[in-house]
Amino acid sequence: MPNIVVLVKQVPDTYSERRLSDSDHTLDRDSADAVLDEINERAVEEALLIKEAQGGEVTVLSVGPDRATEAIRKALSMGADKAVHVSDPALHGSCVIQTSKVIAAAVGKVDGVDLVIAGNEATDGRSGAVPAILAELLGYPQLTHARKVVIEGTTIKVTRETDEGLTHLEASLPAVVSVGEKINEPRYPSFKGIMAAKKKPVETLTVADLGIDAGEVGLASATSTVVEAAPKPPRAAGQKVEDEGDGGAKIAEYLVGQKLI
Amino acid sequence: MSFTESEERQALRKAVAELGRKYGHEYTLKAARSGGHTTELWNEAGELGYLGVSVPEEFGGGGGGIGDLAAVCEELGATGTGLLQMVVSPAICATIIARFGTPEQKSRWLPGFADGTLRMAFAITEPDAGSNAHRLTTTARRVGDGWVLNGRKVYISCVDESQSVMVVGRTEDAKTGKLKPALFVVPTDAPGFEFQRIEMDVIAPDSQFQVFIDDVHLPAEALVGSEDAALMQLFAGLNPERIMASAYAVGMGRFALDKAVEYAKTRTVWKEPIGAHQAVAHPLAKAKVELELAKLMTQKAAALYDSGDDMAAGEAANMAKYAAGEAVVNAVDAAVQTHGGNGLASEYGLGALVAASRLTRIAPVSREMILNFVAQFSLGLPKSY
Repeated sequence: MPNIVVLVKQVPDTYSERRLSDSDHTLDRDSADAVLDEINERAVEEALLIKEAQGGEVTVLSVGPDRATEAIRKALSMGADKAVHVSDPALHGSCVIQTSKVIAAAVGKVDGVDLVIAGNEATDGRSGAVPAILAELLGYPQLTHARKVVIEGTTIKVTRETDEGLTHLEASLPAVVSVGEKINEPRYPSFKGIMAAKKKPVETLTVADLGIDAGEVGLASATSTVVEAAPKPPRAAGQKVEDEGDGGAKIAEYLVGQKLI
Repeated sequence: MSFTESEERQALRKAVAELGRKYGHEYTLKAARSGGHTTELWNEAGELGYLGVSVPEEFGGGGGGIGDLAAVCEELGATGTGLLQMVVSPAICATIIARFGTPEQKSRWLPGFADGTLRMAFAITEPDAGSNAHRLTTTARRVGDGWVLNGRKVYISCVDESQSVMVVGRTEDAKTGKLKPALFVVPTDAPGFEFQRIEMDVIAPDSQFQVFIDDVHLPAEALVGSEDAALMQLFAGLNPERIMASAYAVGMGRFALDKAVEYAKTRTVWKEPIGAHQAVAHPLAKAKVELELAKLMTQKAAALYDSGDDMAAGEAANMAKYAAGEAVVNAVDAAVQTHGGNGLASEYGLGALVAASRLTRIAPVSREMILNFVAQFSLGLPKSY
C-alpha cells in the first residue's frame, strides 16, 4: 500500500503565447492561460494506477502562487486523495535548487512517503533538474525518465528511456521517479471526480511553516537568474531545394544535418 | 445574482472540452459522411459520467442539474463533436422518468441514463399534426393489464441508436377534445414497431426516422408514471429539450466562430491578415455578441429550471432557443463568408454546418412557434389558432 506524493506544477498553456515579465525576467503568469502541466497529468495517472492496483494514498504537492489551486483541483478531480500547496510571495523567482529544497521540506510534512512521482521536465522552465535534486536532498534513489514503473513490495523497477536508449533500473523504496511522455495516457476527470475534488483536503503552507527562512528563497538569493530575454524570432522562410536529379540526396543530406535521420 | 459559473461547472466544461478535442470535428465529419455514428464518443462521455450529470446520485448519476448537462452539450459542440441525442435521451427522457416515473421505472432506467449505456429516443411529432400537439393521433388502447399502441411518428432522431423510444400518445378514452397525452416507453425491437430512415441533406452522424407503430403490445409498466400526469411530464421534459437545443446550437456556433477567427488571423492576401478588415471583423464580432447573449439566456433558463420554477423556465427556454437558433445560423454564415471559397470546401468542414445549423432554427420547436408563444404568453396578444 504505497504512500505516494505526486509533484504537480501549474504552467502557462503551451497553446498560448508565453512570455517573461519585463521587470525581472521571471515568468509572466498573467499573460497566458494557466493549466496543469501535461507531464504532471501523466505523473498523477501513474500514481492512480499504482493506487488502484495496490491501494495506498496519493497526495499531490504543488509549489506555486494561489492560482495554482486550479491545477491542484484538476489532479484531485482525476482521483488524488489530498493536496499540499506551498504558496508564499517570497518564492517568486526561485531557482531549481531553492524550489527543490522547498519541495523536500514539504514532502517531509507527509507521513511515511514511499514514492515521489514527478514529470521529467516542466514545459515552462524545462530545466528537468528538480527530480534529481530532490532525490539528492531527500537521500532517496532517483529513477528518472521512466516509461514503465513496476512496484513489487519495497522494490521499484523502472524502464528508463532517453535518447541513448532504454535502461532497466531497480531500487528500494522510498524513491523518486520522474516519468516521460510515454508512461501512460492520463484519464479525464469524471463528473463525480470533479464534484468530489472540492471536498478533498488541501493543506496550504508558507515557507515559514516548512521551517525555511524567507531569505533563503526567491529571486534575490537564487543560484540562477535570467539576465536577458528576447522574443522568439519570427519563423524564417524554409530552405528550397531545386531538384536537378539529385533532389532526394539533397533532402537526405539536409535531414542528416538536422540529425533527423 | 451571479454571472460566474461554479468552480465545478467550469472544471466540467474544461474536462469535456478536452475530451471533445481528443475526438475532434474530423471524427464527427468522417462518421457523418460515411453514414456512421459517433458511438465511441458517446460511450466514453457516458463512462466519465458526462451524459449522466443531471441524473440523481442515488441512481448513479452526478446529481447536478440541466445547467450542467447543457454545459456538457455546449462544450462538445464547441469542439465540433456535438452529440445530438444529448438533447433527447438524458435531457427529456431521463428528466421525465426521474421526476414522474414509478420507483420501479426509476431503478430500471435511470442507472442506464447515468452512464449513457441506455439511449432512449423521444417521439412526439406526427405527419398530420406537426407543431399542433393537440392533433396527435397515436393512441393506446387498454387490453387486459397492458396497452396496445397504434400510430405514426416522423422526424424522430437516433431511433437506430436507441434501445427504446419514449412515445407520446393519448389514451383511447381521450381521443377527442383537449389533449390528454400519455407517455409510453417502447423497445425499438418490439413486434409491430418499425422505423425507416428519412434521407436528409444534412451532414450529421445521427439520422432522422419515420416510425410506424402497428398494434404494439405493451405491459402496464410501459406507461410512464400515472396516466393523468402526462401533460406535466411533457412540460417537465420539453423545457430541458429547449435548453439543450440552445446549448447544442451555441456550441456549434462557437466552433464555427473559432474556425473563422483563426482563419481571419492567419489568412493574408494584402498587407494585413483579412481579420483586420472591418467587413470581415464585424460579422464575426456580431456573431460573438449573439452567441454570448444566447448562452446567457440558456444559462438563465437552466438556472430557473433547476430552481424548480417550470413556468419562468419555459419562457426563458423558448427565448434561449430562439436566440441560439438565430445566433448559430449567423455565426456559421459569417464563418463560411470569412473563408471565401474554402468555406464550402470539404476540407474545412464548414459547409457541413450550413444545413446542420439551419436545422436548429426549425427543431425541436420552430422559430415561428416560439414567437407565437412569446406573443401570447409574454405579451398577452390574441391567439391566431
